[in-house]
Amino acid sequence: MLPEIAEVALRSVAISGAATLLALSWSLPLAYYVAERSSKTIATISEALVGVPTTLIGLLLYFILRNEGPLGFLQLLYTPYAIVVGEAILVTPLLVAVTYRVLANAIATYGELALSLGASRSQAMELAFTTSLPSLAAAAIMAFSRAVGEIGVALIVGGNIRGYTRTMTTAIALEVAKGEFWTALELGLILVSLTVVVSLAVRLVKGLWEL
Amino acid sequence: MRPLYLALTFIIAALAILAAAYAAGLFGGSELRVRISTTTSLYATGLLDYLADKYEGEHPGVAIDFLPVGSGQALQLAADGEVCAVFVHAPQLEIRYIRDGVLEDHRIIAYNYFIIVGPPDDPAGVRDAANATEAFRRIYEAGEAGRAVFISRGDNSGTNVKELSIWKAAGLDPSGRPWYKEVGKGMADTLVMADEMRAYTLSDIGTYLKLKKDGVLKNIELLYASSTELINIYSAYLVTSCMGAERAQAQAFIEFVYSHQDLIGRYGVNKYGQPLFYPAEGREEELARIWESIAGAGG
Repeated sequence: MLPEIAEVALRSVAISGAATLLALSWSLPLAYYVAERSSKTIATISEALVGVPTTLIGLLLYFILRNEGPLGFLQLLYTPYAIVVGEAILVTPLLVAVTYRVLANAIATYGELALSLGASRSQAMELAFTTSLPSLAAAAIMAFSRAVGEIGVALIVGGNIRGYTRTMTTAIALEVAKGEFWTALELGLILVSLTVVVSLAVRLVKGLWEL
Repeated sequence: MRPLYLALTFIIAALAILAAAYAAGLFGGSELRVRISTTTSLYATGLLDYLADKYEGEHPGVAIDFLPVGSGQALQLAADGEVCAVFVHAPQLEIRYIRDGVLEDHRIIAYNYFIIVGPPDDPAGVRDAANATEAFRRIYEAGEAGRAVFISRGDNSGTNVKELSIWKAAGLDPSGRPWYKEVGKGMADTLVMADEMRAYTLSDIGTYLKLKKDGVLKNIELLYASSTELINIYSAYLVTSCMGAERAQAQAFIEFVYSHQDLIGRYGVNKYGQPLFYPAEGREEELARIWESIAGAGG
């Protein structure tokens, strides 16, 4: 048995990590599509939605996932999976907005160059994508950081259930409610350290890749 | 570059993480999960987790899941059929849900008293008040005279509902007055704010004792307590719409709590030197009468 705090920390990383990957699965193709056609509408909407309140997303998701909601039959409410879905939705605008810019720049710089040197369209796009990998990884870390630090979604669709859906942020809020301010502060420090460690780990993996 | 292939890779990676987390036991096991909504202030005392641990020890394969939320939200979750039982302390709100048929099988499980805290020099003279209504009247007068500030939770919590009912009983309406601050925060935050501003506020006993013991509160102290008007009654209910095995376990858990009130009465004594809750046992009829009068006044 892990100590409760380690369990909560690992749960947070797993939930937010899965949420980030899930969001990447649709955000990257979408950003790629938008960059390729240099369509500004989706990019502009994404940029505008980056700061949407997490509690609002949590509440909207609650109405969808509750028993009487359209997806109530999935029985996802108050499970860790509901938090994963909610955080994936939450970080999508951020991911699309950032990766769109990165890809659009790479296409303008390297893609066009490759085309002019006689590469096929798909080769040019491939090159633009590969040269953007470091910035795309940075975008993924930003998204993870936002997901792991949010509380609105985790509290509303997760429910802060001990040993099940309690994350670092909902644990911090609970400690504050208890008046355990120092414990809350310690948890906060752990949360920040976690984000830094994950960020370093991604950089390390990226470094190995580039060898 | 094949977007579909890319998307699938990320989805598989996400599922792999979730599978690993599940295998590591981070997402619980295959227990029967019984959801109970409750108020943050009651949950924060640790009493419910303590009772759930005892119950789960005797009933392997069952997980009692507490959703600590505001009183209003706790009852709304019951109305939405998302939880199987509720533990709350706001009779004025509870009665509406009983009338709507959302809640049944009412059990009073414990009680304690709200307290009025404020600056030690007590500019409003709350210490000399004959009852809570008079204490509030004195705060109102001192506030109007610019000598006192009152902080209200303003969040429809059990504590907030009690506070508003006392203003109502005193025939006063402080909302909008410059000395009356509605902050929309939890109890601990509100007490810290009252401490910073040397203001009066209504608090539950548990949160106050905890912060006082930790030395967080330096500029406020307990000025008024133990008036019948300030009684805080904790009730458990079954949610009518809850069915099946979950209902049976929720019922059994409430029965367990009801029949182990000695645990409630002893809880926190070692830590704070005094009990946080008093068992309802032996005073059921009296408490039921008080509950009725509180609920009736608000409904």
